Amino acid sequence: MELDQLEMNQTLEESQPEGKTIPYLTALIGWSLPAIEACDKLKRPFVVVGPPDFKDYAEKHNITFVGWEFDRLNEGSDKLYKQLKALGAEVAVPLYEECVEWAGALNARFRQEPRLFNRSLLLRDKGMMKRKAQIAGIKVGVFEEARDKDDVKRFLKRVNEALLKVDGDKYDPIHCKPLDKAGSVGHRAIDNPADIEALTDNDFPLLMESHLDGQEFSCEVFVHKGQIQFLNITEYVKLGYSNFVPPSPTLESKRPVIRQAIEQLIEAFEIENGVIHPEYFIMPDGTLHFGEVAARVPGGHIFDLIERAYGFSAYEAQILCSDPNTTEEELRKFFPAEDEANGYAGCLMVHPHVTYIEELTIPDELEEHPFFEKHDMFTPPQGKVAERVGFGNHYGTIFFFGDDSAEMRRLLEYYEKYDFYL
Amino acid sequence: MPSEVTEGKIARFSQSLTKLSEAPTYAKSRYQTDVYQEANRLLETEEGLEILFKYADRFDEAGVFQDGPWEDPSKLQPPLVAGSLQAKGLPYVIEMLSNLRMLAIAEGMEEHPTVSKEMAMDFLNEVMALNLDLLFPQATEASRIEKKENADEAQRLFQFISRYLSSSALSETLIHEIKRLTAQRPIMVKRTVSIIKMAKEMLKSNENDTQKEVLQQYVASIEGPSNLSHLYSQPNEYRKQLMNLSVEELQRESEILGRSMRNTGLCSPHHSVLARLLSRKSPELLPALLQLSGKGKANFEEHEELVHQLIKVALFPTTCQSVYGLALLLERGVLSASPVIPGLRRLIELDIRPEVRNALFKANEGEGLTANSILLAGVISVLGQPLGVGQGLNPTCQAARGISLWAQHAPGYLLEIIPRAARDGEIDMVFEGVNIYSKDLQGGLAPELHPELDPVSIVLVPHLDRIYSEMMTRVALRGEDGHRWVNPAFYGNWVQKGFSTVIEPITGNIADYPGFVRLFYATHHPEYNDEYELIYPNPVGIFITNVHGKMLGFHAVSIQRIAKCPKGNYRVYFYNPNNDGSQNWGQGIVSTVMGNGEYFGESSLPFDEFTSRLYAFHYNPYEQGDSYAVEQDSVAKVKTLAKESWGKEYKWISG
Repeated sequence: MELDQLEMNQTLEESQPEGKTIPYLTALIGWSLPAIEACDKLKRPFVVVGPPDFKDYAEKHNITFVGWEFDRLNEGSDKLYKQLKALGAEVAVPLYEECVEWAGALNARFRQEPRLFNRSLLLRDKGMMKRKAQIAGIKVGVFEEARDKDDVKRFLKRVNEALLKVDGDKYDPIHCKPLDKAGSVGHRAIDNPADIEALTDNDFPLLMESHLDGQEFSCEVFVHKGQIQFLNITEYVKLGYSNFVPPSPTLESKRPVIRQAIEQLIEAFEIENGVIHPEYFIMPDGTLHFGEVAARVPGGHIFDLIERAYGFSAYEAQILCSDPNTTEEELRKFFPAEDEANGYAGCLMVHPHVTYIEELTIPDELEEHPFFEKHDMFTPPQGKVAERVGFGNHYGTIFFFGDDSAEMRRLLEYYEKYDFYL
Repeated sequence: MPSEVTEGKIARFSQSLTKLSEAPTYAKSRYQTDVYQEANRLLETEEGLEILFKYADRFDEAGVFQDGPWEDPSKLQPPLVAGSLQAKGLPYVIEMLSNLRMLAIAEGMEEHPTVSKEMAMDFLNEVMALNLDLLFPQATEASRIEKKENADEAQRLFQFISRYLSSSALSETLIHEIKRLTAQRPIMVKRTVSIIKMAKEMLKSNENDTQKEVLQQYVASIEGPSNLSHLYSQPNEYRKQLMNLSVEELQRESEILGRSMRNTGLCSPHHSVLARLLSRKSPELLPALLQLSGKGKANFEEHEELVHQLIKVALFPTTCQSVYGLALLLERGVLSASPVIPGLRRLIELDIRPEVRNALFKANEGEGLTANSILLAGVISVLGQPLGVGQGLNPTCQAARGISLWAQHAPGYLLEIIPRAARDGEIDMVFEGVNIYSKDLQGGLAPELHPELDPVSIVLVPHLDRIYSEMMTRVALRGEDGHRWVNPAFYGNWVQKGFSTVIEPITGNIADYPGFVRLFYATHHPEYNDEYELIYPNPVGIFITNVHGKMLGFHAVSIQRIAKCPKGNYRVYFYNPNNDGSQNWGQGIVSTVMGNGEYFGESSLPFDEFTSRLYAFHYNPYEQGDSYAVEQDSVAKVKTLAKESWGKEYKWISG
């Protein structure tokens, strides 16, 4: 942003008494009702840039809407920028993985900082991301990009050679994932050369990395002007199935180390505004291994859990932090202290253990447990269970809230194995 | 096992509803799930409906149904309610809530912009009438085995709603439903009978004497219209009693049973018992039982010996409906057509193939009859009630239309192909010089025939269906609508050779629609076609649309006649092979089966409304009237109706 503009904005802000609407639009990149609601609650005028399918719905409900196909690479970003600029948009907030570089490109234009776009690309190419982390001295596993099956075979062999495996030993797994997909989409662990044959041309290029031991957790970090405004730590009970916020006391006690690691990450990736969602593995001795980082709304209902545990809307927080014009004071008023959670909020994403659903059974002892909050499961009218993509499309979620992290973990582990669908 | 209602459950529901109503309109879907969940918890309890009903006037305003299929109550359809209630999960919950909302509107708790109190009440009455089996569950083995999903909950809902409905309004709906069905004089009366049986339950609670009387008459028509038949419901006991009657008493008994049958088109097993007895002991009383007119009587007297033979072979307590068929057969004078008598005799001794025999037995289980008896009874019904033939649950409208047409105008031909199918297991037709044998064909539209059909259809439809499909396949690539050639070849030379269709076969576009409309008026409308009468039924193709005018597909009906209705407006009277001919096609186009001058079994529509759903028809090229004379306004009206309904699915090129 150039100086005179900055001044202009400041004068604008000064002339706006608190609570009045801010005169520029926030562009929400991606379709997310909670984000729209959050923006509405903040009394920030907004425009939604979403898949064209949502146009009718947006029109019906008077939502300013620009239809956009995110997965089609095109030269049209300039058109999108001009369209948004004409509407008066100045901030772009990415909501989904596929929207991150679009938001990056738009913010680069809004703020006239071309490197914002490059930084966003860093978050969209897992190979580049790892390399950047490694250069910055962050502990990562051994990794390589693969272009074909031979690359994968070679990598699996060399990693296990380095682990001093001899013929007949069981191989340690390596992990393969697409370079640009959200979370666990397309992820597979391979410990047998025969499994490599199952990969198809569509799976390449991909990122391979050695297996990292340790307890996995994620952070949701609200960053403004490069400073951590709020650090949430989410404890994973079973990746993709269950997690809770804030973490149990053992993990919580590592918060200072974790905060240090995050600061290192923010510096390395030159992150200025918005939310980041990195995943780490922590060893019993406190050593942290960096998994990956995204700059979007995390999965696993984590934003909902944060709201339940701390009482603030994570969606609102994301929008506030994404806007460089948000004041220090606004942020201080918004975020609670990190150690002031009201309790533990957890959720279990239920996926049927069967391929055809006859009926749904919810045990009474679940509904009667004091930690039980709600679930959203109904017997699906069509019995056939869809194939799972990543950790998405689960059949329902059960929400818990309580004051004991050990009981929370026990519930999540117990019901993870329960057959809700028969 | 219903669970307990607790204050907690009520509070949670109330909170979820409040949260939903506070949500901005675009975000309702985020909060609806919680409302459905909490509602479901209440629905599992005995008092749940009562509690939910207290909130029902807030449902619409809060957005409980927003952005879903239940959003606009004016678009809901009573026949779909039962299906949703039996669906698993979410549709069931929403349907329950939607009915409570409807009750709230009907009770004046909520004012709705598009649904009035009366409309809501009508809706609920119709839902009740359609679901009497749930309102008055019968403890039969069948209902036990076929226990439906959510049956207890649905029953609770209907009983809850019925507390708010007047039993007389409900009876009124029922009576209308029965009248509507009987007016169509179907051969298959299973549905009518089951509704009457359930209406019997209503008699207990009804205070209204007129209604009671009407309902009682219907009940009597299937359970015994006379005192004696009412008293002795078992056929063998009734027979014993009949033996003791004097001729005068038999005469009176015959009159009573006969009148009931001709009034409703329904028979009780007693009709067969009496017919058999009269045939043997007092044949002179048969015209009284059949309530024959002069013409029918003459026909009876001329062919008395054959009639006795038919009664003996075909009329049994379980085939009692054919007593009515026999009466109408005589009225129609079918026996005077020379091939009919030998044709019927042939059926008595026909060597029916085992698979056909099995199919006939399967549809008439446990009756202890021979397959020949079943088939002959079926033939009597079809020849007596040609417009009572229905396609049942099969997509075989063309075959049903053929059977109906031949029964009307070519009974000899019909009696030719029935033995071909029943004895030889095939039917052949010549198409453009080539013989087509059904035996050699596979597939057809209904390879798995649903067996709830009359015996003639059971025997013929599998063959007719395959032959029709084969003919259509042979002309598929001619670049014109194949019905042009197939209909005359399939149905016979009664079908006119002129043919017009609204869809351009190669492009699938609609071109010159006004020309199509004018041609139909000029060839069919008495005011423009030089008053040529329609002589044989005209098989035409129509677009079927739902109540919202949305196109569902194509359907085959036959125009029977075009005439002025009692009010003086021209209507098209047509045969609809669907078992129920009164249908709502949207845009206010509702085909009726009574009250507009229809003969039994006919459906009818005003001329222009019928035209607006037409897509193909045959005409006699030598009998064209003045297409230019057709009023511009009429054409424009038809076009608007067409364009705004099925027309939305097509590209309109010109005109």
